[in-house]
Amino acid sequence: MEKPFLKSLCLRVIYRGICRPILKFFVGIQYPDCSFLKDEKQFVIISNHNSHLDTLSLLTAIPSDILWKVRPVAAADYFGNTSLKAKFSNFFINTLLINRRPKKDDVANKNNAMDKMLEAIDEGYSLILFPEGSRGEPEQMSKMKSGIARLLAQRPGLKYVPVFMTGMGTSLPKGGVVPLPYNATLHFDKPTLPDSDDSYAIMEQIEKHYAEMSEKYGIKEDDDDD
Amino acid sequence: MRKFLSYLLPDQSSDVILMISIILISLMVVSGILFAIKKAKPEKNLTEVINRTKSWWMMVTMFVCAIFINNTVAYVCLAILSFFAFRELYSVLHFRQSDRNALLVALLAIPVQFTLAYFRWYGGYIIFIPVIMFLLLPAIMVIKQDTHRITKSMAMLQWSLMLSVFGLSHLAFLLSLPDLEGFSSGGRGLLLFLVFLTEINDVMQFMWGKSLGKHKILPNVSPNKTWEGFIGGAISTTVIGYFIGFLTPLSTPQVIFTSAMIAIFGFCGDVVLSAVKRDKGIKDMSDAIPGHGGIFDRIDSLSFTAPAFFHLIYFLVYPPFQPFDEIWKNLF
Repeated sequence: MEKPFLKSLCLRVIYRGICRPILKFFVGIQYPDCSFLKDEKQFVIISNHNSHLDTLSLLTAIPSDILWKVRPVAAADYFGNTSLKAKFSNFFINTLLINRRPKKDDVANKNNAMDKMLEAIDEGYSLILFPEGSRGEPEQMSKMKSGIARLLAQRPGLKYVPVFMTGMGTSLPKGGVVPLPYNATLHFDKPTLPDSDDSYAIMEQIEKHYAEMSEKYGIKEDDDDD
Repeated sequence: MRKFLSYLLPDQSSDVILMISIILISLMVVSGILFAIKKAKPEKNLTEVINRTKSWWMMVTMFVCAIFINNTVAYVCLAILSFFAFRELYSVLHFRQSDRNALLVALLAIPVQFTLAYFRWYGGYIIFIPVIMFLLLPAIMVIKQDTHRITKSMAMLQWSLMLSVFGLSHLAFLLSLPDLEGFSSGGRGLLLFLVFLTEINDVMQFMWGKSLGKHKILPNVSPNKTWEGFIGGAISTTVIGYFIGFLTPLSTPQVIFTSAMIAIFGFCGDVVLSAVKRDKGIKDMSDAIPGHGGIFDRIDSLSFTAPAFFHLIYFLVYPPFQPFDEIWKNLF
């Protein structure tokens, strides 16, 4: 797969040049050192999802050299409901649009989402996936969908990179318009190879991984009794 | 060096230039010693000290550029510092989701407060946060009608605003103090005196504590703080304050008293913020400054010394601005 010069440059300028400084200094997002991602040939970044800031902060955290081959998986009904919006998000966010809710009787499109992701993987792209599906309540994780496990099961050898973010939902919750400056943090864990090729086992592994990260980094609510 | 600095900073008095030269030279000496130790004993682990010294270089450079090049820029930079500090504080304190609007309004208080300082309107500046914001923010919080733990949120919001915005804005108002006859350094001299002494107090307490510390002073708050560190630090700070008293319009006993006050209030700020961090189960407020932690980890003592120093100076040197001017004159 060849590096598209113009697109790569564009993404570099937008994310590293413009978005990252704004997110870092105005919003106050704390970035870890992510240069280890450069050593990986291909990976799937999975993350908890609370805010529109999530995708943006992940894209600004990724080293700019490999930005062009990382595609966030996004809902077609949200980001691609008009063809202009789809084209726009395809070029500037590099999205991979999928159908979240395929119609029941539409047999041809039933596995459309999975096929599209597999296709992108086979082309050599890395993906950003939010297994929770939607943003949900701020600072709370909802149950993960099994798509990520099925994807990893079908492509053995593909590593996943778990990311746990805190504070994004506080900064820009669902329905919020103005982001509140907030020291939100991204916690990257090491790229991990699934232990098994059974999708249920992989799902269990990922859930366990997230439970650990949530224990380690999660915001502990004060449980003082009144 | 002094010539070079006076060329760079043409508006500053010779005293301020002298002080900046002293700071830069001492930093160079420290860096030189560290470099020599590293060359002589490469096996010794100095990474933390070196990181800290590098950060000191960064901070000193940024501070000098921010405060001494242009007057308006100085206010803007102090407002930005206050913004970072306030953001760090409320991020750590974990407000409720329903406090979002109140927090956004509280953020708007920063430009207002520093503008009031810029236009030297002392009356507005001194009541804006303790009175107006104090009444306004809880009212905004109530609009959301989420009463669960609202008392805690109200208290925390006002506390963080007082500490990080009201407290630090005293640095800006130092710059707005009127010129005194026979005192050329002006507000910048005072600001430099305060910031230098507060930071040197931190360093001195740390060094005395490291070398002689035995008796813990507040073991359940900050296990590294000792009586030896506190007293040794306070004495060294007072001595250093005596020698750099030329930056202030104070008489010798006043300088000694003020320096000792800076040492004591600096210590208080340090332990108060340590207690908050301990409560929240964190070591640093954020990871903004390599080797130091967050911004508030560095300026915790400054947020205490700034208002204390300002009002002390205001009381001692600027009595014409006091409403009890007459009483003051009759008393002494």
